[in-house]
This record gives sequence, C-alpha cells and structure tokens, in this order.
Amino acid sequence: MYNKKSKNIILDEGGGGYKSNELILDIRKIVKDTGKWKNTGDDGAVFKLPKDSRNLVFTTDAFIIDPIFFPGGDIGKIAMCGTINDIAVMGAKPIGISLSIVMEEGFSRKDFEKILKSINKVSREAGVPVVTGDTKVTEKGKIDKIEITTAGVGISQKIINNNGIKPGDYIISSGDLGEHTVALLAKRFNYQTKIKTDSKPFNKEIEKVGKYLNACKDPTRGGLAANLVEMAEKSKMKVILDEKTLPYKKEVVAVTELLGLDIFSLASEGRFITAVSPKNVEGTLKILKTFNSPVDGEAKIIGRASRPKNKKEIGVFLETELGGSRKIEISRGKLIPRIC
Amino acid sequence: MDKIKVLKKINRLAKEMGRDVNLMEVCGTHTQAISRCGIRKILPKNINLITGPGCPVCVTAQKDIDAIINLALNGIPVATYGDLLRVPGYFGSLDDAREKGAKVFDVYSIEDALKLEEKYSGLVFFGLGFETTTPMTAWAIKKAYQSGRQGLTVYSTHKLFLPAMKALLSLGEVKIDGFIDPGHVSVIIGEKPYEELNAAQVITGFEEEDVLIGIFMLLKQIKNNEKKVENQYIRVVKKDGNKSARKIIDEVFEIGDGNWRGFGVVPGSGLEIKKKYKKFDAKRKYKNILDKIDFSRSKDPTGCKCGEVIRGIMNSRGCPMFKKVCTPDNPVGPCMVSVEGACNNYFRESK
Repeated sequence: MYNKKSKNIILDEGGGGYKSNELILDIRKIVKDTGKWKNTGDDGAVFKLPKDSRNLVFTTDAFIIDPIFFPGGDIGKIAMCGTINDIAVMGAKPIGISLSIVMEEGFSRKDFEKILKSINKVSREAGVPVVTGDTKVTEKGKIDKIEITTAGVGISQKIINNNGIKPGDYIISSGDLGEHTVALLAKRFNYQTKIKTDSKPFNKEIEKVGKYLNACKDPTRGGLAANLVEMAEKSKMKVILDEKTLPYKKEVVAVTELLGLDIFSLASEGRFITAVSPKNVEGTLKILKTFNSPVDGEAKIIGRASRPKNKKEIGVFLETELGGSRKIEISRGKLIPRIC
Repeated sequence: MDKIKVLKKINRLAKEMGRDVNLMEVCGTHTQAISRCGIRKILPKNINLITGPGCPVCVTAQKDIDAIINLALNGIPVATYGDLLRVPGYFGSLDDAREKGAKVFDVYSIEDALKLEEKYSGLVFFGLGFETTTPMTAWAIKKAYQSGRQGLTVYSTHKLFLPAMKALLSLGEVKIDGFIDPGHVSVIIGEKPYEELNAAQVITGFEEEDVLIGIFMLLKQIKNNEKKVENQYIRVVKKDGNKSARKIIDEVFEIGDGNWRGFGVVPGSGLEIKKKYKKFDAKRKYKNILDKIDFSRSKDPTGCKCGEVIRGIMNSRGCPMFKKVCTPDNPVGPCMVSVEGACNNYFRESK
C-alpha cells in the first residue's frame, strides 16, 4: 500500500530533486537508443567527430518560471544562460543556439520584446549566436504566459564530465551561490533585498580554465546539494565542505532563515562548481577571480575530496567547528516553507 | 561566546550533575536545527534531547486531514502548506486527491491562497500551525472581510501552543527536566505566558550556537533547582512579544477545543473563526459536506506510532516501522512526512 509510484506525474518530479532523476530513468527505459551519441549522465550528449580529435556537445533545456521578470534578469536571460552554460560546463565552446517560444494569446508585446532584447544581449556577451528557432501561440490560459526552450551545440577538444573528481582534489565554486533563487523569491514575496540573480553565461570562464578541471557542473536546479552530491556519487568520492567557507552571502542566509529553506538547494544560473588537482588550484583561482569581483563573491575553495573508506562515506559532508558532521542531502523536490 | 567554549561548559555541568537530564524541544524548527547541526551527537551522554509536539503538520488530527481531503474530493479547491499534502489519510492524501483531479494547491503563504482564489472561486485554505502562522491567516480573513468579497474560506486547525505543553506536564508520561521553548512562537506570545508552566525553560534561537547556549542555560537552572523562563533569543524575541499580531488573532479567532494527534481533544487549545467572520469559515460554509463524512474510519494509520512520538514517550527509532516500512518517500504517518517532524529528522540524521 505504501510502496507505490503514483499513476500520474506529480509536481516533485519536476523539482530537480531525486524524483526528477527517477523520471529521467523512466524515460530512458522506453526511449533507449542514443545512436553514436554518448550520454554520460551530464547535461549534454557527446558525439565524437569522425577523423577529428574533437567532439560535438548537444544539449537542450525548457524554461518556465514565475515571475518572468525579476531582479537582474528575466526568462529570456535564463533560457540563454542555461543552455550556453550546460555546454560550457562540459568543456565545450558553444557555437549555436536554437530558440523556441510558446506564448499564450494576450501576452504583452512590450514584455515579449524586452525578453528578446535580453536574449540578444546574452548572445552577444557570450559570443554565441541564435541560429534557428520556432514560435507558437496558444489560446489564452493553455499555458502560463510564456515558455522558452533552447537547444545548443558546442565543440570540445577535451570533454569535462561531472564524475571525474579525484582523491585530494579541491572543490572550487566559481562565485557565491544561491542568488538566483533568492532574487526570484524576493520578487515573489516583495522582500527588500539587494540580491540580484547571478545568471550569466560562463563559457568564457571555462574556456580559460577548462584544461585544469577534473570535473565540473553548474548548480542550477537542486543547488549545491543536488549537484555536488551527484558529482561525488558518480565519482565515488567523499567531499567535505568547510562550514567557514560556504559560498553564500549574508543576505542569502538571512532570506533562507526567514523562509525556512534549505540553503544548499538554492539554484544559481551563472556559477559552476568544479574539482581541481592541488597543483592547479592556484592557477584556476587566479583566472576565475578576474571574472567575479569580491562584491559578486569571487571564486574560492569550498571543500576537498578524499577516497571514502566505505560506501556510506560516498557523498558530501558538512563539517562544523564543533566536529559535528552532517551529510548533505538532495532535497525531495519543491521548496517547503517553515511553519513552526 | 564561541561554540566550543559553550560545549565545554555543557560538558562540565553535565558531569557535575551526573544524573540523566531530559530536555524537550517543542518547535519543529528546533528539531530540524538539532538534527542538521548534529547536536545530539556532540552532547554528553546523560543529556537527552526529546522531541515534543512542535511540528504543526504532525499534530494535526487525522479527522481534520480526512475532512479537508473530502472537501477536495467533492470538487472544492483546496490550498495549504506543502508538507500537509503528503500526509496519508483514510481517503488517501491531498496529493492523491490532486492526482484524481481534485483542485489541490500547495502555497507558500496564505497570500498565495488569496491570489489563487481569484481564479478558483470558493477555495478553502487549510489553516494550520501555532501562533507563528495564525496571525497571517487572521490577516487574510480580515482583508477579505474588509474588501467585501466573499472569496476565500478557511478551515482552521490553528492551535495555541501552551495548552499542549501543559497537557504534556500533567500527563506525566515522560519526565521533562526543562523545555527549549519555541523561538518563533515566542516572537508572538513573548515570555510571560510560559511562567504558569512552572518549569525550567529557555526561549531559544535556531543557530547551532543559540541551541547550545539554550541548553547550557537550561542545565544551569536545573542544577540550581530553578524554574524560570529565560530568553536566549533576545535579539528577536521581545519580553511582551508582538502585541499587534496577538490583537489580530483575538479579533478573528476565538478559543475552542483543539484536536491534536497524540493528545486527542485538548480543551482551550484550538482556534475557531469568530461569528463576525463566519462567511470565511469553511467549517460553516461546507457543513453539509462535512456532516456527511463517516469519521468512524478516520483513525491513525495501523501500526503508526506518531501519537507516542509527538507526546515524547517514544523515540522515532523505537517505532517498529521506522526506516523499514516508513520512510520519507513512503511515509505512514505525518512525523515522517514533515521536514519538521521527529521521524523525518531522525531518518535523515541516521543516514
């Protein structure tokens, strides 16, 4: 009676927690064939070019958010950054993006143009053109305002996977985390906060440091918890985070306390977390620090990987000053407010 | 005070006292904080932390859960806080009802419910929680009243916290040496109401350091045989609490009998909507549906020990179903569902 999978799709399955992972596995039980494309469980698929040392990387992402405009960005910016970053994080240089937009009848043309302008801005900043696309308009109420789907192709000399953490590697965050979710929540609940979304394309950062990275992932949906845990589990490593160097700003901590949210589940849309061998740490940090200022929160070491003694030690652990230790867990799905 | 120093002081006091000391935390956010920081693991062996009835989802009576699920299955749109949707009732959970086509929404605050009501007329907000969430519900009802709109109605299971603490003490099933008093509830009610309990208590904040200092202050009281209400969380909790929040609760709600999982009906612990606002009372508006429900089947799930866990007489780990049949993925009772529940936290801690 208790061990059942529900007959219908439930919201949690879209939340980015482990329920989402189960859903993807279910899809792959039916849609099995990937042809000559390899999918290593990263955000994109890889195609080894014949008679060439390079690989194609291909990815896609769908975007629905509420609100569609928020401090520092909008759905268009997120849709571009998401796909560009998913390609970049695999060590590839994004070369073209497709853009599909579904809108409901009655959607404001002014808002539509605003979104297009911000798509164009990201495209120019990142140096990645939008090369094809599609549009549809539905009857009013069939969808909520606007949905955007982007897909992108990149070329890579050396693929970076999310399962390549080695014992002794330092875990680096390219900047402070969680500000995207906080900006959205602040807008939704009318909080006064200086926090803006952290969304931005980071392909140029990866271009510079890619050669140093053993593993890389962007902590979007599911935040540091879901993404670093996934990296640790796939790499079969133990990662220890230090309580004193967590990459979260005071305001971000304050908002999560106010709302009773798990800080490790907050999403970022312009940051990546990566594992780097000790000999390359200094070089990596030096380069990354030229991209994010101390005000944005510059790149820093947030933890270290080691070989686990047993299966139970695989994962991410937070060590507190008092010697308490807690395993970081992937959230179930959606965010739940504190009520006591 | 830095954390390491506080822990050392706790260790020293615990050693001096020698005997077992039972401290009870009575707020779901404390339960979470204690588990998250691994505080149970670093405390001396003779200091026991017992989880009390502080999780609003957990203490909601089965009957109320079955009532709201029935309303949803009768085609009435329902909104409430996320965790409650997953609590199993005799007729399934609200999540199950949504899958069957019922209009069920999880909201972050009652403000969201007000907005939803514009689209889904007749929406019922299932109001739960203690003095922490009640002012918001009262505010929404008042706002709806002033706007003249007959919109949202509320099914109130709001509860007063103190009567449950009194009930715990008078039942005497578990020896409690001191209470870690709830931080957020105290923001509203202040320090004074706790005095009548005549027990060692410290109103405590939610950071690791707060909890440790709270425990230290409690141990000091207990060692000196004192029964005071102390406030560790001064930076947030004012002596008189929040008068305007209490005023709006008084304006909209009246005290009735509260129905608690684990305790049953505790007189004077429930909050019902006053007559003046009866238009917004779902229990009145949908009386014809609610009266037809056969609550004789509305019992706690077979084998579930949530009642005992809530009263503090059983540790979650002592429940035969814990981790075997009952997990956060497939919860049997609410204490495993809610992120503020004892079983849910013990489960995560044990991983």
